[in-house]
Amino acid sequence: MKESLFLLPIAVFYLAVESTLFPNMPLPDVPLLFVFFMAWKRPGIEGVLLAFALGYIDDAFNGGIIGSTSFALALVFLSAHLLSKRIHFSTPAARAAGAGGLRLLKGLFLYLVLKSAGLKAGGFPRLFFEILLTAAFAPFAIALLNRFCAFINPHAYKDSAN
Amino acid sequence: MTNILKRYKIIFVSLLLALFSLHLALTNKKELVRGSLIRGLTSVAVSPIQRSILATYAAGQEIVSDYISLVGVGRENKALREELLSLNAELNRLKEEEGLSKRLKQALDYKEIAPFKTTVAGIIGFNFGEGTRVLTINKGMLDGIRKDSAVITPSGVLGRVISAGRHASLVLLATDPRSNIDVLSQRSRIKAIAEGDGKNAVTLKYVRIVDDVGIGDKIITSGISGVFPKGIVVGEVIRIEKGRDNFFKHVEIRPSVDLNSLEEVLIVTDLGDEDSK
Repeated sequence: MKESLFLLPIAVFYLAVESTLFPNMPLPDVPLLFVFFMAWKRPGIEGVLLAFALGYIDDAFNGGIIGSTSFALALVFLSAHLLSKRIHFSTPAARAAGAGGLRLLKGLFLYLVLKSAGLKAGGFPRLFFEILLTAAFAPFAIALLNRFCAFINPHAYKDSAN
Repeated sequence: MTNILKRYKIIFVSLLLALFSLHLALTNKKELVRGSLIRGLTSVAVSPIQRSILATYAAGQEIVSDYISLVGVGRENKALREELLSLNAELNRLKEEEGLSKRLKQALDYKEIAPFKTTVAGIIGFNFGEGTRVLTINKGMLDGIRKDSAVITPSGVLGRVISAGRHASLVLLATDPRSNIDVLSQRSRIKAIAEGDGKNAVTLKYVRIVDDVGIGDKIITSGISGVFPKGIVVGEVIRIEKGRDNFFKHVEIRPSVDLNSLEEVLIVTDLGDEDSK
């Protein structure tokens, strides 16, 4: 629970920085990395709720279609949770591939919602760059999240450093 | 049954929240009403952060240009360089001031001749996601901004306010796919709906094959919806193709407002007697 309470404001701050200083630049999808981390390391109801809340805030903050990103992130959480039962994201390469794959999934889910809502969906070159950047940034971000969560919640992470 | 629910609770809750989100998304695609509480809260919480980020960024740039570049410079040149730097900084500041004055004068001139009331706002954030084109401005309800207020510039239509917080508001750009503006061709007076394509262009809907619309035609607001004043330029026709249904044309227009060079916008706070036109 503690992790969610800390990750939520960090994600909001990240969205504010992204929209203020780098509006046209593809950047790593940090909220998605939080969802990936929670689904893999702390699978539980609070993780699902965090994914939903992150998506909802993203939509509200960015003026997107309310529900579209929360739909995508809830399903990304579920996919990451199911994947983590079969794949061990123990190496940086596996984490990068997992994050990249999940970013692609998020893009597909968003595309489906936009299409279902009868809206045009674009921005595929940007999605491609964001997949690459998210994948490249994932090993570093996950290592950082490991340390951060071990710091705020030492008991839960004592036996799961990787 | 309880055991199954417990065992697969993550799957059930994820699917439940995904379905709930999908319901929100598909029943709310045009109204943009739901989430207004969260929008309000994020606006209150985030717009000060955005202002601080911009101020820190500007201060950082100043520090970098004024001080860090001087590290390693010999004493002999130090005074001269400092003077030069100070003059350059002053020159840059004056140029900025001049630019700002020009832009504000342009906005003010437009304000004076426009038959409706407007207020000037600065842009503090761009939110360009997949299929969304939204920006954040530094004025809100306390400045007379309301939901659905038209947002324009002296060059033309920019969009409309979709959410007004106390001190900041979200503007749905004309290029967002959810944006629909009643327009007409300035030359032939053919009416249509301008819809964003989610990138940087706008397309015209419901232009029939027989309608007289040509490349280079200026497209202006019709004033029918009561959101935009009549006669504001939306863009210029740059491409016309035959539609797939053989009944309507596919008309693409280039928006008149260049977002890259935009820093201030005008919000229409009162349409005045536009409606009676």
